[in-house]
Amino acid sequence: MSRIWSMMDVGKRSMMNSQTALQTVSHNIANKDTEGYSRQRVDLQTAVPTGMGKRRVGNGAWATGVSRTNNPFIEKQLENEGNELGTKQATAEAMVRVEQVYNEQQNKGLNKFIGEFFNSFRELSNSPESVAIRSMVKESGEFLAKDFKRVNSQLTKIQEEIDFQVGVHVQEINEITAEIAELNEKIQNVEMHAREANDERDRRDVLIKKLGSTININYAEGDSGEVTITAGNNAILVSGGSKRDLIASRAPERAGKREGNVDVYYKSTDRGTPLNMTRQIKDGKLGGLLETRDNYINGVLDQMDELAFNLSNQVNRAHTQGFDSYSRKGEAFFSPLAQKAGASAMLEINENIRLDSGKIVAGAAPNAPGDNRIANIISTMQYDQHMNNGQHTFDDFYNNVVGSVGVKTARINSELASQKDIVDQLGKIRESISGVSLDEETAKMIEYQKSYDASARLIRTVDEMMDTVLNLKPM
Amino acid sequence: MRVADKMAFDQVTANLGRNRSEMSELQNQAATQKRVTKPSDDPVASSRVLFGRTEQRSNDQFVKNLNYAKSFLDFTEQSLAELTEVVARAKELALGQASDGSSNAQTKAAIAAEITQLHDQAIQIGNRRLGERFIFGGYKTTTKPFDPDGNYSGDAGEMKIHIDKETFLSMNLPGNIVFQGQGLTDKGIHFKSEKQATSVDELQAQQQEQAEKQEAQQRGPASLKTAPALAREVGTLKTKDDGANVFGVLKKLEISLRANDKHGVQESIDRLDDAMNQVILARTSLGSRVMTIDSTLDSLATMGVDNKSNISALEDADVFQVVSDMNKTESTLQATLQTSGKLMQQSLLDFVR
Repeated sequence: MSRIWSMMDVGKRSMMNSQTALQTVSHNIANKDTEGYSRQRVDLQTAVPTGMGKRRVGNGAWATGVSRTNNPFIEKQLENEGNELGTKQATAEAMVRVEQVYNEQQNKGLNKFIGEFFNSFRELSNSPESVAIRSMVKESGEFLAKDFKRVNSQLTKIQEEIDFQVGVHVQEINEITAEIAELNEKIQNVEMHAREANDERDRRDVLIKKLGSTININYAEGDSGEVTITAGNNAILVSGGSKRDLIASRAPERAGKREGNVDVYYKSTDRGTPLNMTRQIKDGKLGGLLETRDNYINGVLDQMDELAFNLSNQVNRAHTQGFDSYSRKGEAFFSPLAQKAGASAMLEINENIRLDSGKIVAGAAPNAPGDNRIANIISTMQYDQHMNNGQHTFDDFYNNVVGSVGVKTARINSELASQKDIVDQLGKIRESISGVSLDEETAKMIEYQKSYDASARLIRTVDEMMDTVLNLKPM
Repeated sequence: MRVADKMAFDQVTANLGRNRSEMSELQNQAATQKRVTKPSDDPVASSRVLFGRTEQRSNDQFVKNLNYAKSFLDFTEQSLAELTEVVARAKELALGQASDGSSNAQTKAAIAAEITQLHDQAIQIGNRRLGERFIFGGYKTTTKPFDPDGNYSGDAGEMKIHIDKETFLSMNLPGNIVFQGQGLTDKGIHFKSEKQATSVDELQAQQQEQAEKQEAQQRGPASLKTAPALAREVGTLKTKDDGANVFGVLKKLEISLRANDKHGVQESIDRLDDAMNQVILARTSLGSRVMTIDSTLDSLATMGVDNKSNISALEDADVFQVVSDMNKTESTLQATLQTSGKLMQQSLLDFVR
């Protein structure tokens, strides 16, 4: 008798297994598009058989658990490459902006204004007595100074926007680490009971990848399933269920960084002194942004300063050597600059000359209105090597800056494209392993439905058997 | 390979995106006719384009400078042609009065009056203006270089015009050379002039040298006659101390005529020849300058064309290439769209009903 009942039991359990499996199928289908989801399967095992004399009869199947199909090695690779991708993305985005500052294919820029400035002195040299041409020289000098200012302010503006983005990213990091800490706790709690926290782990993998694309991190999983994450050299962001925030705040000037730009700080304890970890952040979007802001853009700004400084000094030197249209000793053409730093922002026409263009110098001798020697000296200045210790002309120097910005942008763009391909390829491999296939799920669905049907049929058979047995009576 | 649904969809979107962006890139090239629209499209080309444009801008200005210098020189030449006529007329008149047979005191007096007019005309030529500028005043272009008596108040300044990266061309002839023969050497109107200082250091060196020379001249007894403004080094002079002073010669002729001094008139004829030679020499030097200008203009024009075609080769799109690329990309896009439809439509679900 007990065997018939046990058959009933096998049937019932089989139905339950199929139902669980179908539920899992529905979970898979529902999460087909969930980011980072790994398809799940019910693990079935044969139940412990019952011994009957010499025979052992099978006792049906037993669902031991639900597991996810996931390759941790691929996930780790994805995080690594995603980190690289983040660096390149952020750098490329910033570089495209920098490039736009120097795009003279479409806009007017320093190349044009430097040329026109020197041309105006050539024009003055043709008619050194002319008042009209003097005011043209003044205008072209003003345009030149204004364009230096434009380049400077556009570059500093990009830096400021990067500052803003750094702030946003730091906030994002803090939100992610908070969620990871929470998930750590959940996973620990769930897995304490030897169950797998599939969905929580999927979610945590996604978050780690996101974190990794923002900042360079190291992470390792502990025995009870919690991950510890450090950023930079050894700033512990998440440890078990606790986490520490990063702080972005304006900071004073330091080597390679300008006054007022945002730095990233880390406090190891609530009361600890904030530790500046900006320079430890080398990769990820944050790393790319900081690198571009501090090393690249500042480098370009320094070059602009050098150009403005040398140009104004050289012009001033020649200009003060001569005599203006009132036969008075020439004043500086540009307001004298005390130092190279910030020269491109401060370049300006001497106030006196701006008010009276008659003070522009053309000649080298007083009382000689037709004397154009100084104008000629300034005119030749364009072809003299006044930059890089006498190696380059002003134009060479500027054009080389544009060229190098172009090279850098082109390189980062192609690097970005190939890195994207790598990440896409890895993502494909990941989806190939963990992704949900509707065809597959449909097939499984039919399969489990059939086995559900069959199990139900089994129960009916058992039921009929029971009837048969119960109706056994002497005829 | 196991194909998950997300994978297929991702692939479709990625491929479509790639095709579309290629298409838009090509469309942009076709619309702008430019291959390089930003430095990163081709960094080397874009920086060479900038070099080319710098060159172009300078060349355009040099062409302007040359044309200006040319008009200045043409005007000078025209004035000197008139001066030649004045001197020739004076000589003609003087020849008529040089012998007793054809002249007497009355005719001489009458001719003297005409010579006075010629003298004034010469002064007028010396005070010619192009626009607002006195062309014979050296650097002093805003004041009349000659007073009615023919005294020179200009200086020996030479205006140099930048006509090429490395080259300067003297534009004016100071009146003291053309009209007064100062600085005239046996080689003709030859400027022992400094080259245009191309840097402040050079200028300072020149000024220093000049100051020293001036001092030496002021101290030394040798050339007391030379005005301080004429500090330029004067080479061996033609036969006489200086060239001919056109005004002086005319004045002398006039005085000789009025005084009925036959020998004076005869001597004046020789002097008029000197003056004539001097003016012609000046005109020759103008001619050679104009030639320099013309040849520089020609070479600048050629350079300009080369430069433009160079820039165009660097930055302009090859339209045929673009269009054929576009057709290729378009057919790829079409193929992607069609196959994408197939890839996404098929599902087991369609068959189990």
